[in-house]
Amino acid sequence: MRKPKLLSVLRITLLWVAAIFVIVPLAWITLASFKTPQELNDPGLVLFTPNFDSWASVLSSGILDAAYRSLVVGLVTVGISIVVGGMGAYAISKYKAGGSVTRFGILAAQVLPPAVLVFPFLTMAYALRLNDTLVPVIFAHLSFVLPVVTWFLIGFFDAVPPALEEQARVDGFSRFRAFVLVVLPQVLPGIGAAAIFGFTLSWNDMFYGLILAPGNAAILPVAISGFNTFRGVQLGAMSAAILIAVVPVVIASFFIQRKLVQGISGGAVKS
Amino acid sequence: MLHSKKSRKIIATVAVMSGLSLFTASCAGTGGPETPESSGLGDIPKDTKGTVRILMENVPDTDRITDLVANFNEEYPDVTVDIESLTFDQMRDKLVSSFQAPDPTYDLIVVDNPWMVDFAQAGFLEPLDDRIASTSDYDAGDFFEPLVDITKVDGTTYGVPFYNYALGYLYNADDLAAGSLSVPTTLEELVATSKSLTTSERSGIAMQPQRGYKIFEEWANWLFAAGGSIYDADGNPTLDTPEAKAALEAYIDAYKNAAPDNSLSWAFDEAFRSVSSGQSSSMISYNWNLPALNDPSGASGDLAGNFKLAPMPGGKQVLGSWSWAIPSNSSASDAAWAFASWVTSKEVDIDRVKEGGAAIRVSTLDDPGVLADGFGADYYEAVKQILSDAAPLSAGANGEEMIQAVGTELNEAVAGTKSVDEALAAAQAAVVKIQK
Amino acid sequence: MTFKLGMLAPLIALLVLIVGFPLAYALYLSVTDYKLTDRGTPGFVGIDNFLSTLTNVDFWEAFGTTVLYVVMAVGAEVVLGLAIALALQKQKWAKDLTRSMLLAPMFITPIAVGLTFRFLLNDQIGAIPAMLRGIGISYDFFGPGRALMTLAAIDAWQWTPFMVLLLLAGLESIPKQPLEAARVDGGSAWYVFRRVTFPLLSPVLVIAVLLRALDALKVFEYVFATTRGGPGTETQTIQYFTYQTGIQFFRLGEASSMAFVLLAIVLTLIILTFRRIERGRAA
Repeated sequence: MRKPKLLSVLRITLLWVAAIFVIVPLAWITLASFKTPQELNDPGLVLFTPNFDSWASVLSSGILDAAYRSLVVGLVTVGISIVVGGMGAYAISKYKAGGSVTRFGILAAQVLPPAVLVFPFLTMAYALRLNDTLVPVIFAHLSFVLPVVTWFLIGFFDAVPPALEEQARVDGFSRFRAFVLVVLPQVLPGIGAAAIFGFTLSWNDMFYGLILAPGNAAILPVAISGFNTFRGVQLGAMSAAILIAVVPVVIASFFIQRKLVQGISGGAVKS
Repeated sequence: MLHSKKSRKIIATVAVMSGLSLFTASCAGTGGPETPESSGLGDIPKDTKGTVRILMENVPDTDRITDLVANFNEEYPDVTVDIESLTFDQMRDKLVSSFQAPDPTYDLIVVDNPWMVDFAQAGFLEPLDDRIASTSDYDAGDFFEPLVDITKVDGTTYGVPFYNYALGYLYNADDLAAGSLSVPTTLEELVATSKSLTTSERSGIAMQPQRGYKIFEEWANWLFAAGGSIYDADGNPTLDTPEAKAALEAYIDAYKNAAPDNSLSWAFDEAFRSVSSGQSSSMISYNWNLPALNDPSGASGDLAGNFKLAPMPGGKQVLGSWSWAIPSNSSASDAAWAFASWVTSKEVDIDRVKEGGAAIRVSTLDDPGVLADGFGADYYEAVKQILSDAAPLSAGANGEEMIQAVGTELNEAVAGTKSVDEALAAAQAAVVKIQK
Repeated sequence: MTFKLGMLAPLIALLVLIVGFPLAYALYLSVTDYKLTDRGTPGFVGIDNFLSTLTNVDFWEAFGTTVLYVVMAVGAEVVLGLAIALALQKQKWAKDLTRSMLLAPMFITPIAVGLTFRFLLNDQIGAIPAMLRGIGISYDFFGPGRALMTLAAIDAWQWTPFMVLLLLAGLESIPKQPLEAARVDGGSAWYVFRRVTFPLLSPVLVIAVLLRALDALKVFEYVFATTRGGPGTETQTIQYFTYQTGIQFFRLGEASSMAFVLLAIVLTLIILTFRRIERGRAA
C-alpha cells in the first residue's frame, strides 16, 4: 500500500506548487496596486500602509465604462456566434458537410496575423461611417470567435444520438422545431462551454480594439494597455485595472467551472 | 467536369471575392487632394469659425496644450478645439489609417521626427512656408535650429515644433560628489566615471540596451561623444567608422562593468526606476525627465532634488522632436493654423514652458519669468546647450525601419552574439539598403 | 435541402463578410506594392511580394523562432496540464475553489500579463530575481539563449489552465469500465495511465494541442511588452515581424504576402496531420 500513498503526496505537492505559481504574480499585482510609486521600487516590501491613489485614479479614469463596453462586445459577439454558429454547426454535423478538412478549415483563418486583417476591417468601418464605435470591434471579434464556437458546437451535435431527432420527426415535429425543442436542450451545457470560451477570447483581445475603437470607445484591454505610456508604465494603476478586469471573471468561473468541464466533456472533446 | 457542382461554387466564391476587392481597391488611399494645397494664410481672422480635431499622444506635454485651450478660446471664441489623445502605438496606427479615410478625420496632427519625410513625400502634409512667412510677429527664427531642420523636407517646411525630446546626461549629484567625481566631458571619462560610481549596492549607469529604437537612441549619444556621426555631409551613413567602433566598444564596456546585472532588455522604464530608487547613479535620457526625478511626490522620494542634467560628453546629443502639422485632407486648415501658430507663439510658449512643457524657443529659456518660476535656471541653461547641438537618429525616408535595423545589430553586439565589427558592418549595410 | 441551406446560410453569409472579405482584401493587397503612406490605387506587382517573402532570411528566421516557441510553450502546457488535470481529477477538498483559482490566468489580457512579467522578472525591482538572489542565484531572464524560453514560460503560465480545462473534461468523459478492468487486472498506476487513460484521452489531447498551437502562433503581446524581439532577433516572432513590416514600416502589401505564406504552411500541416490521424483510425 506504499505506492498509492506516494502518489497522493506527489499529487498534493504538484497542486500546491501550481497554486503558488499562479498566485505569486497575482499577489504581486495586488500588492502593487496599493503601493506608492516609491514603494513599487522595493520588491521585498510586503507589509506597508496601503495607498489608495492608484485605485482612485483608475476608477476615475473611466475603466468601469471600458469594462462595460468589453462586456457588451463580448456578449453580443458570443450571442451572434451561438445563434448563427449553432445553426450552421448543426447542419454541418447532421449532413456531414465537408469532412474533417472543412471542419478544421474553419479554424485556418485563425492563423492570419491580426496586423494584416485589421486594415480591411478599418476600411470597412470607414466606408460604413462606423469608425470609433463598437460595431467594427464586434465584427473583428466575430472573425475569430464565430469559427471557434462553430467548431466546438459541431462536436456537441455529433454527440447527440440521431434516434432522438428521428423520434421527434415521427411525432410530427418540423425539422426546425425538432432542432429547437429536441436537439438544442441536449447540447445546452456544450453551448454554455462554447459561450464562455468565446467570451474569454473576446474579453482578452487588445489588438483589434486598439486600432478599430480607441479613444472614447476603448474596450478594457485597450484601457489597460493605455497605462503603458511613453513616460513609463504606470504600474500601480495598471495593477488595479488588471484586478478590476480579472476578479469578476474569476468569481464567475468559481460558479461555472464545473459546468464548463461537464459541458466540454459532453461533446467537443469527442469529435 | 466530375466536380462541376463544386467548381461552380468555387467560381461563385471567387467572383464575390474579386467584386469585394475591387470595391475595397477603390477605397484605398482616397484621402485628400493629389497635390497638397495651402491657402497660405498666416494671420487668421479672430472671427473664424470651425472645429479643429487634433490627434495627440497622451503625454504630459499634451496635457499642457489641453490646459491652454481655454486661453485660446478667449481670442478665437468660434473655434472649437477637440483633442483626442492616445498612447503612442494607438496614435500612430490611427494616424496612418486616417490618411486613408474617405472623410477628413483630423484637422491638425503632431508628427514624430522619423515619420516626417515619409508623410511629407506621400503628400499627407500641407506646406507651411507661406503661412509662417505671413504670420505677424511669429519669429520662426527663434526656434532651436535642430528642431526646425526636422520640419523641412527637400527645402519645404511641413511643420512647426511642438516639443523636443532631446537626450542628456542625468545624474545623481550626491553620488558624484561622494566619489569626488565631476560630470564626464569625454567618452573615456563617461566610461571611467560610470565604473567609479559602481559599488556593490549600486550601478554607475542604468542603460537601455533593448533591441530596436531604445539602444540606437542611447548609443548614438556615445557615437557623437566619440566624434562620430550617423550620416556624413552628403547624407551617406557612417556607422562602420573607427569612431563608431570606439563608441560601441565603450558602450559594451560600460554595460558589462557599470550597468545593472541582467539588464539587456531594459528600456526607459526600468532605467528610470533604477535611478529614481537610488540603485543606479546616472542615465542618458530625455532632458525633461529631470523635473520628474526631482519631484518629491514621485518615484524618487527622499532622493528628489539630488538629480541634475548636463549635455552629453562632447556636447552633442540625440534629438527627438514632435511637430505640429496640418494634414492635406484637413477640413479646417485655417483654424488649425490659428491654433498651431497661437500655441507656438512667443507669449504662449512662455506660459507652456513655465507649466513644464518641453522647450522649443530660445527666447523662452531666457525669459526672466521662466527662469524664476520654472524648474531652475541651471536646468534651462543645460536644456539650451543640449538643443543647440543635437541631431536626430534618422534622415530621409523609411526612418522607422532604419532605426529598427541599426538597433537590432547594436543589441546583437551587446548580447555578444555578433562581434563589434560584424554588427557595425551589418548596420551600415542595412541603412544603405533601407535608405538608398 | 432548403432546411439545410437555411441553417447554413447565415453562417456562410457572416463568414464571407467577416472572414472572407478581409481575406480577399489582404490577398488583393499581397499582389500590390501598397504602403500605408500611399495615395491612390496601389500598383499591381504580381507575385513579387511572395518571391521576396520566400527569399527573405528574416521571415524564415522569425518563422523558425515562432515554431520553436510554439513547441516549447505547448509542450510545457501539455505536460503540466496533463499532470495538473490528473491531480485535480482526484481532488476532493475545496474542489471548486482550487479549480477556479487555477484557471484565473487565462482571463487576464495578454498585454497585461506581458507587462506584469516584465517587472516581476526585472533584476532590480522584480520579486522573482529578488527571491532568487536570496538563494544566491543570478539569472538573466531576457538574456541571449534564454529570452525565448522565458516568453514560452509566460505563455505556459497563462495558458496551462486552458489545457487543464480541456484535459479535465476529457478525463471526466472517459468511461469507468476499462479503467476498473485494468485495475482489477492488477495493473500499476503507470500501466493504467499508459495503456488505458492516455489512449482514451488522445483525441482530446490532439484538439487541445491544435487549438493552443494555433493561438500560440499568434504570440505578439508578450514580445511587445518585454523584449521587442531581442536579444538581436532571438525573440522576433512571425506576428511581431509582420506587425513591424505592415504597420510600423507601412509596407502592408508585403506583410499581407507573409500572412498568406504562413497560412499556406499551417493549412498544409493541419491537413497532413488530420489525414494521417484519419488513416490511423481507419487502419
